[in-house]
Amino acid sequence: MPDPTFFAFLVVDGALAGAIYALVALAFVVVYKASRVINFAVGEWTMVGSRMAAAAGHTLGIGLGGALGAACVAMIGLALFFNRVVLRPLFHRSLLSLIMVTIGVGIFMRGAATVVFAGLPLRIVSPFPVDPLIVSGLPVAVDKIAAAAIAAAAIAALSWFFNGSRTGLALRAVASDQQVAMAVGIDLHRHFALTWGLVGVLSVLAGTLWSFASGGGFGIELLGLKVFPIVILGGLDSLPGTIIAAFVVGILESLVTGYLDPLVGGGFSHVASYLVLIATLLIRPYGFLGRPDVERV
Amino acid sequence: MGGLDGPPKPPALGDAPAQPGRPSGRLRVSGGLEGLPALLEVRDLHVSYGRIRALQGVSLTVPDAGIVALIGANGAGKSTLLRAISGVVRARQGSVSLLGEELVGLPVHQIARRRVIHVPEGRGMLARMTVLENLRLGGLAARDRRDPAADLERAFALFPALHSRRRQLAGSLSGGEQQMLAIGRAMMARPRLLMLDEPSLGLAPLLVREIFRIIPQLAGEGTAVLLVEQNARMALQCAAHAYVLQTGRVVLAGPAADLLAAPEVQRAYLGAG
Repeated sequence: MPDPTFFAFLVVDGALAGAIYALVALAFVVVYKASRVINFAVGEWTMVGSRMAAAAGHTLGIGLGGALGAACVAMIGLALFFNRVVLRPLFHRSLLSLIMVTIGVGIFMRGAATVVFAGLPLRIVSPFPVDPLIVSGLPVAVDKIAAAAIAAAAIAALSWFFNGSRTGLALRAVASDQQVAMAVGIDLHRHFALTWGLVGVLSVLAGTLWSFASGGGFGIELLGLKVFPIVILGGLDSLPGTIIAAFVVGILESLVTGYLDPLVGGGFSHVASYLVLIATLLIRPYGFLGRPDVERV
Repeated sequence: MGGLDGPPKPPALGDAPAQPGRPSGRLRVSGGLEGLPALLEVRDLHVSYGRIRALQGVSLTVPDAGIVALIGANGAGKSTLLRAISGVVRARQGSVSLLGEELVGLPVHQIARRRVIHVPEGRGMLARMTVLENLRLGGLAARDRRDPAADLERAFALFPALHSRRRQLAGSLSGGEQQMLAIGRAMMARPRLLMLDEPSLGLAPLLVREIFRIIPQLAGEGTAVLLVEQNARMALQCAAHAYVLQTGRVVLAGPAADLLAAPEVQRAYLGAG
């Protein structure tokens, strides 16, 4: 008989992870929606973001806030540089070239990070207490709750930005139809750059929060692998879909780890999310909240 | 009527021989167009789509007030001319000058920011965004965001139907409503020059009359209008000046009333004779 407490624990644990997955997935979707570029290296960006924060904290000796701020500045700079120098010249080439370039950059980042950040701590020290909180009989790590709460706040801020601000409106227009966006006076390239700036910020935030929640920066590149099941499930075109799907995948993985891993051996959670991806492509390829591009002519 | 290949037929009227790009015969455009300052001057514009020469030396002038109509058959190059002015296609040769500033070579969004707003055939709606969002988008082009709320009020006053549908997705509107939204969105930018490409296309006669009631109203409030229309009669009836385009060249030009009365225009475009 399944233990309800255990079940609840798994769900909560999964949801907490899901909040952070959502940040990484959003970094992916924001770029994709605006420019149709598929950023295969989103996991590597997150890894570099977290290492940048750790490096800033260590070398500059400033507190957590300062380290995050400095890392954001550096990552925004890196992202804008990447967009301007690598992506923009390829703008008129095929989309495939753009995609391959992001894969190449991911490989480069993985290698370069080992060299550039050599000797520096892998992760920034968590400011949260180590002892878990007991909530109605369940031990929940404070790290995880705090990280998830911050992630949720960031998601809310992003949603407000996209739906409530002029720039957000412009970004949505660019994502919807580039020709129309130009016709209303929107500068496409400036807005593409903006989306990459967001990637820079989100990579620092998601990377750092992940290192808090997972008790170590290890496996952070694997976050990138989780993005694909999430965005396919939620619909590549839908921001709310991405957020919901991130929680679904998080909870699913947690349940699988809790119930199936003892049966089939560890690590099945990764397989499970990819099985969901395959199932979604077979049943509802546009994702549950995505829409095929059918418009009234 | 004609495609874009082959030499243009010489104009039916007129004593003076036709020259490419220059209006011919006794319907020559008078310099300065009756004393109104020129807002937009197109000079000897050549546009090609690959090997197809869509515009072969077109010149026209839009004064800073009133309506200029551009009529002609399918394929004459009317839409191409609007696209060349708004920057969607690049002219091979020639100049488009807005109050002295050269527009050829500028990117589309910068021309829009200079408040030269093009409403294309097919309207260019963002179907998955609401009416309100589409309207707000129009306001982004206005460099000085003085009072977006007032601009919205004006748009709704002009098109009351849009107000009741403001939270609906643009894609769910009817053709006529989408045309209203397209014009409303264009007006949000407080354009100096509004370029309309076939606004009556596909609309029921009642809506066509409505559109042609609104266009002079907009012009009366200070927006210059360049109107491309296949419905030559309605276009000539509301415009002050008009040009006739045929296979990429201007073949006739002058006050719209004169063109309306001209027998060759009546034969070719107004279904008389």
